[in-house]
Amino acid sequence: MVASVRRVFELWGLYARLDMLYVLRGPQIALSFYVSDLILGMAAVTAMFLLAQRFDGIPPWSRDQMLFLLGYALLVRGTIDVFFNYNISFISRRIGRGQLDHVLVQPQPLWMVLLTEGFAPVTGAGMLLPGLLLIGWSVEQLQLSVTFAWLALLALSLACSIVVVLAFSYAWGSLAFWAPRSAEELNSSTWQLLTQLDVFPLDPLPTLALTGLLTFVPAGLVAWYPARALLGIDASPLGWLGLPAAALVLGSLCLFIFMRGLAHYGRTGSTRYLSYGHRR
Amino acid sequence: MRAYLKTAAMSAGTVGDSPLFLLDYALRLLRVIVLLSLWRAILGNSTATGAMPLGAVLTYTLIGEVFAYQLEARTSLPNAFWEGTIVLRFLRPMGLVRQFVAESSGVWLVHFALFSIPLLLLSPLLGVDPRPASPLAAVLFAVSLGLGILVGLAIEVLFAALTVGFEQPVWLVHQMRMAVGTLLSGSLLPLAYYPWGLGELFSWLPFASTAWAPLAIFTGAGDPLRLLLVQVGWVLVLWPLTNRLWAANREKVVGYGG
Repeated sequence: MVASVRRVFELWGLYARLDMLYVLRGPQIALSFYVSDLILGMAAVTAMFLLAQRFDGIPPWSRDQMLFLLGYALLVRGTIDVFFNYNISFISRRIGRGQLDHVLVQPQPLWMVLLTEGFAPVTGAGMLLPGLLLIGWSVEQLQLSVTFAWLALLALSLACSIVVVLAFSYAWGSLAFWAPRSAEELNSSTWQLLTQLDVFPLDPLPTLALTGLLTFVPAGLVAWYPARALLGIDASPLGWLGLPAAALVLGSLCLFIFMRGLAHYGRTGSTRYLSYGHRR
Repeated sequence: MRAYLKTAAMSAGTVGDSPLFLLDYALRLLRVIVLLSLWRAILGNSTATGAMPLGAVLTYTLIGEVFAYQLEARTSLPNAFWEGTIVLRFLRPMGLVRQFVAESSGVWLVHFALFSIPLLLLSPLLGVDPRPASPLAAVLFAVSLGLGILVGLAIEVLFAALTVGFEQPVWLVHQMRMAVGTLLSGSLLPLAYYPWGLGELFSWLPFASTAWAPLAIFTGAGDPLRLLLVQVGWVLVLWPLTNRLWAANREKVVGYGG
């Protein structure tokens, strides 16, 4: 256990150096990656921000609460970009392109490769700073009391939100084990499903739509649900227990589907290196 | 002309190659439902004021989704760069931009039939009146939509030229264009509701000519004459610029394969 943890940190260090070397190839590459992430992140939340500013909030959320929601959504995306970059969070691409073989031949357990190989603390950090600034600004404006328990809840919620996003991505992305060609870009669609809908305050939605966005398409679990608990809008036990429970269920379901797919892959392999392969 | 029609028909036939478009439809439907609910929450109470009444905003949102592909002027140009198939298109005895227009038209028609028309039929269930502000608004909307597509295509080719010229990653530039375009064009939220006068400022930019102009005409939220003149202005400015930039950069296109 201790050796595995040490190895994970060693690999993170290694991939951080590689990421840094990539950026050091020249300012053009560094700027294009960092600035594009920054622009993408800001554009994703700016429309909701402008709306919240125009109407001093979106009922029942005040303007500053909306800023917190948007900052939290950016933080989730930014953290995923830092830790699960290079198509680790878009696993359908790796599977569909036959690149899972590159992972399987490494002398590391699969989980360790998936946890470390996408580490991009330089090129993937474009959304982190705006997310943290928005959260910091809104916490200040809302005069939230930032205790150790609140920070622990923030960290737990962030981890659970990331699990939800990745579980959704991997559950759908695993279809590429069975249909590598048609499902190769599946995670682009699943990613859009979650990230385009996670910045909205979902309170006014009809029950049926809200239920759908907390279960089948769990965009509500990415930012809206945890932000309610962190801001005290939902102070019930379900408010802060619901997300870890959902993350556990979705994570288990994703693991089941992914392992089934992997077992299938073990029998069929990839067509990438065959003469009739679609990525040949 | 027959060649372009055939290209459009062939392109339409590729929609079913992958079932991913169903997820796109799910996203679009969910986005409409969420946005309609938000507008009702914001404008439903009597204290909220705005440049457009609630009914017009709901219509704007619905029609914006019905014509989403046209308002974004979404083509397969970035994909052609990514897959290297742009090289094959250079070899065909057809204009490059016209090929992409033909391909896009075919795809747009399929999605219009499979998603947009059903969404329009669902409008009573969603509580939205999808009719234009007036019969004249409907006619001017069609003109404005055509101009908007022309501006959108010019922006698409302009960004393609810049991608090649500055040797930038295709998808990076494409995603940035889409993200910034969504914000500046008013395709997600009406520009009339942007604070600090930003909407007025954005309405003069080319992105606004792709979505805000036709939708504002449809819902009666803007002066049609001014909106159409701005659109015509951007068509006249952007296409010569785009042609010049593309001509200067087209020979720098490099295909590596996927």
